[in-house]
Amino acid sequence: PVTAGSIVVPYGHVIGNEKWRGSEVAQRLQGKVRLIFEDGLGLVDFHLSNRTSLLLISEADLVAGEEFKRRLVRFRNASSLRGIVIVEKTQISDQYYLGVQKLVVLELGMVLLPVANQGETSQLIIQLVSFCVREQSRDHGSNPFLRKQRAQLAEPAVLQTVQQIPGVGKTKALLLLQQFGSIHRLCNASINELEEVVGQTAAQQIYTF
Amino acid sequence: SRGPVEQGPALCVLADSREVCSGPGVISCLRAEHGLRVQVCALGTSDYIVSNRLAVDRVLQSELQSPGNRNKLSQRLQRLQGSFERICVIVETDRVRPGETSRFFQRTQYYDGVLSALVQAGIRILFSSCQEETAALLKDLALLEHRKDAAIQVPTEPEGHRQDVLSFYLSIPNLSYGAALNLCHSFGSVAAVANSSVPALAAGARLGRPQAEELHRFLRHDFEPQLLPQPLPAKGK
Repeated sequence: PVTAGSIVVPYGHVIGNEKWRGSEVAQRLQGKVRLIFEDGLGLVDFHLSNRTSLLLISEADLVAGEEFKRRLVRFRNASSLRGIVIVEKTQISDQYYLGVQKLVVLELGMVLLPVANQGETSQLIIQLVSFCVREQSRDHGSNPFLRKQRAQLAEPAVLQTVQQIPGVGKTKALLLLQQFGSIHRLCNASINELEEVVGQTAAQQIYTF
Repeated sequence: SRGPVEQGPALCVLADSREVCSGPGVISCLRAEHGLRVQVCALGTSDYIVSNRLAVDRVLQSELQSPGNRNKLSQRLQRLQGSFERICVIVETDRVRPGETSRFFQRTQYYDGVLSALVQAGIRILFSSCQEETAALLKDLALLEHRKDAAIQVPTEPEGHRQDVLSFYLSIPNLSYGAALNLCHSFGSVAAVANSSVPALAAGARLGRPQAEELHRFLRHDFEPQLLPQPLPAKGK
């Protein structure tokens, strides 16, 4: 069956395709993640969460030819899940890597991560699972690459920007902002209004800017 | 496969000035091999800007291996997320220096953790084995963005008065170099920008909605002198 649909993954668990039972990857995952095997996962090798599924491409798949490409395209067309592809990049399969990367990342918009062997695959899965769990628990603070929405005072930045106007240094910038309040109002000030705050020359410069 | 680049005006990529030293092979290959227009400028935030919405950072594999770089990298990528809709990291294999035998890449748990965090943050990752491959990937990205109508299409070297105006826009927090260039070319004056609505700013600067809203808010921000940190920050940060 060619299924790629969603599946309910219990919190903190990984659901593996039955075909991986007893494999080196599965053995190395035992004890590190809570692994459940299920039949009929179709195209997907492991479900890491309700949203994230994993497809593995072995060195042999790469050497064998195009079949794995059809599988990836079928997954992409059938599923809206986030697809992570782990590929075995070895001395033998290295020559195919750039082509695979172009297809998976640039054309299909999926994630591609290279590993050297099944041992590395399982290590990587363990890390991916740990981040999936954090995501589900909404523990976003622990991801160092997610932007933290912290309120920053705009005052120093506004002052800095006004100083980019030719002829305006820190003192004049401060005077102008105290008088006009915002860059928007400063831009709409008449030359007479500007002259009241700074000298005639500077007012002219600001007005023409 | 070079065909599409040669039709019409050359695709444009902005490169940070530091890349002239750290990635000379990338820049010369982009120009000579792929026929792209590479404009070197002080981007500050990212290594490359490939389109109006995509920034690319080039990272050596060894940098992802050592926890010592973690803060630097995460600060960099967080700042990029403030200014760009899309971010891509190209992980490049370290060059083997003359006289050095090829180092065996020892994959660490830390390295896998960094990759997982990047994936979860929605940052695109590409792997390259040398500077020439990195250049080819940048070209592919630029081409892809061009097909999606996001390519940089304005002149990248403003002259005279426009240079002052560009510096003015560049000083606005979270505004990318590309967006600043677009503002220069889409609007007749700074006053026109200041009086624009959020949708007009988004269209003119080719910005996403949240970034356009942030720009709009900044231009109309009511200045409170009391909120300045004491003592006043020195000029030039």
